Order: sequence, then structure tokens, then C-alpha cells
Amino acid sequence: MRGSIAASRSASSEGALLKRLATYLELTVLFGYMRICTTRTAFVAAMALCGSFAAVAMADDKDPINPPPTMRDWQALAKLPDWSGVWTPVISDQHAQEKTNAPPWNAQTAKQITHMYAEEEAGRPFPVIDHCFPTGMPSWMLITHNAFEILFTPGRVTILGEGDGNRLRRIYTDGRPHPADPDPSFHGHSIGRWEKDTLVVDTVALLPQAYLAVNEAVGVPNNGDMHIVERLHLQGPDTLADDLEITAGKLLFKSWRTTRKYFRQRAQKYDIAEGVCAQGSFTEAVDKNGNAIFAPVKFHNGVPVGSESK
Amino acid sequence: MNRAVFVMTAMLGAASAASAHHSFAMYEPTKTLTFKGTVKTFQWTNPHVILWVLVQPEEGGAGQEWSFETTSPGVLTRAGWTRQSIKPGDRVSVTFSPLRDGSHGGGLNSVTLLDTGQTLVPKFGKEEPGLK
Repeated sequence: MRGSIAASRSASSEGALLKRLATYLELTVLFGYMRICTTRTAFVAAMALCGSFAAVAMADDKDPINPPPTMRDWQALAKLPDWSGVWTPVISDQHAQEKTNAPPWNAQTAKQITHMYAEEEAGRPFPVIDHCFPTGMPSWMLITHNAFEILFTPGRVTILGEGDGNRLRRIYTDGRPHPADPDPSFHGHSIGRWEKDTLVVDTVALLPQAYLAVNEAVGVPNNGDMHIVERLHLQGPDTLADDLEITAGKLLFKSWRTTRKYFRQRAQKYDIAEGVCAQGSFTEAVDKNGNAIFAPVKFHNGVPVGSESK
Repeated sequence: MNRAVFVMTAMLGAASAASAHHSFAMYEPTKTLTFKGTVKTFQWTNPHVILWVLVQPEEGGAGQEWSFETTSPGVLTRAGWTRQSIKPGDRVSVTFSPLRDGSHGGGLNSVTLLDTGQTLVPKFGKEEPGLK
């Protein structure tokens, strides 16, 4: 599937074409200056100029850059579907999906999942989302109760989430491939392309510790080699659907297809709020100098049971 | 006020490092208790909002500090709450599902401001699009 996400016919690939054209023009100018270098007496100054052009050309070949967006790049965004506003998960549908479309866990993982459901039922929920780590992918899209917003800029789609302090997905739509050896992360490396009004997102390089979770108390680390393909599209005027296909060979005996839905709200009072997770481990207090501070909260089994400063 | 609560054993001595975001399954959903008390702090923070209440034992003595946990500021906002909905010093009646281990905490079901009669419920807003 990684190979299927190639350079698209979007404005971004036109940008790549323009970039190649610009490189050609730079080289043409460079050769022109080299001829000048051999015929003029201002040899030292010209060599310095030649050197700077050569450095630009070499950098362009070896180390791709993010080119400044053009007016055309910005205009192309207007042709994309309107995904503005605040998107909140349809939690009732999350619960319905959990009951009717469970992941195809392999035998070893299924034992862990069964145990986690029993623990949750007994009031000892496993902390899938712990230590204020990001929920990560794909669990963010699968189980979160918090809203997110989606931003379009040239060559990129950015999803900014509410809660856990650091929910952020960067989806590159400029035609680039995945890096040869990307650093693993909670949200992975994502590249996307538009198929009409559907954004197809391919995500790799997820940390092995990132969970594949079905709720906040039931989930397991993917343990490596997880690959996610999503098709994000409007299912109605104000309903966004994310069709996910998750391949996790360490956990699943086959790829898992599932869909999550989000509904749109436009009231400004519902705009995305800051969500610094660690703040929940503190309470407001005043120190001996009268300064406003955060005082640590005591926890017992993950639950706040008292403030340490009285 | 439910007298049974005061035989519950506080486990502050076993308190450990912060854990943060979690499932609410440690609260006993089939049990519901209602306490009256005075708000110490209304902690409007992610990932979970916490209402700290000083509950006065019927038999007298110092107030006991209880924490009542609920969902996030963003979700509560969409349910009509604000960070000003509850203030320190407010007299409140809190209905909650208690921690199963008897610690002084619970999952918030609703809170009534006794001076105004207003009841706040931390239910999610309607799961449908809207402009308001």
C-alpha cells in the first residue's frame, strides 16, 4: 500500500514540476555565469557568485526543501471540500462499533483483550492512555471523546486535537514519499492524496508502544510494523467519516476495516480548547510569596484523592 | 448526608504519582451517593475536570476533602458548562458514583448549586451538527 501513495495529479505535483523547472533555470543561469567567469576580469567576485549558485543547486538535489507556496497553491485549496469547523466524535457510534466490529485479534492478543474487558468490568481499568502520552494513532481516531479541527495549507493537511496536550497530525499532500527510515512517533509519518473529495492517508513509522485500542481501558501496543490507510470524506453536509484499514501483523490475523464518524459544530464557543494533560495532575494553589502556582495532586490508583498542599 | 461514607477508609497514605487520563471504570456505576458540602476548588483542567468539595461530617470535626471527577473542559463546554459555573465557596449537593476502594473520590453524575437551585449535568452535547 505504501507504493500506492505516489505523486498525485494535484496542485502539489504541479508544484514539483515547477520546482524541477526552477532547478533547470538555475543551472542554465549557473552555466551562463561560469562562461562569464572565464571571460571577465572580476574573477574573484564572479567565482563567489558561481559558488553560491552551485551550493543552491546541490542542496536542491540532495536535500528536498519545502518551497514557498505560490498564489496558485493557495488558490488550489479553495477547490477542496469544506472541512472547517469543530469535529466531535460520535461517541454512541464508537460504542456501537466496539460491540459489532471488533478487530480480528490473533489468539495471543485476544487473551489479553479478554482479560482487559474482565478487569474493566471489575472496576480495575487498564490505563491505555497514561502518563499524559498522546493517544497516538490509530487510537486517536478510534476512541477519543474530544474534538479536533482540520487545517488545509499548501502541501499539507493538519489535524489539531483537543486533549492529551499534544494531539497533532501532519499529513503531507505535496507528493512526497515516506522517508526511507523515518523516526517512529506516536502519530507516525503520514502522506496523503486527494481522490476527488476524499483524502487518502497512508501512515507508517508508528512507535511500537502506540496502542491499538477499542476503548480507554482495552487496547494493546502495536509492537511494530503497523500500517494505517484512511479515507476521510464527508458523509453528509456536517458528518465526516474516516474509513480506516489497519494492518498490524503482531496483533491481527488480517487487516481490520472500521469507520468512525464525527459531527461538525460551528459555534465559536465550541472552538478547540487548549488541552495540557499534565495540568490535570496539579491543582491551583498559592505559595508563601503569594504567587499563583500549581501544586501536585495526590493520586491513588490513578484517581485524584487529595492535594499535597493545604 | 449519607453516614455510610464516613466509615470509608481514606487511602491517602498509598497515594502515588499522577496517572492522568483514564477510563472511569474504577467508579462503581451501580452505586449513587449524594453529599452536600462547600466547594474548595473547581479545577477546570484537562484531561479531566475535578470538583474539590469539603464535606462536613455530621458528627462534627474538620471537613473532609473529596474529589469528584468528570470529563474535559471541551466536552463540558459543549454541554453548557463554563469554568465559572462553579466557584470556591459555593454550597453544593453532589451526586456521584463512588470509588470502589472507598477512597474519598467519585465520578460526578450531577451537581446542584444550593443557593440558586441550578443543576449541572456533565453529559455530552447532542451528537448532531449545530450552529449554536
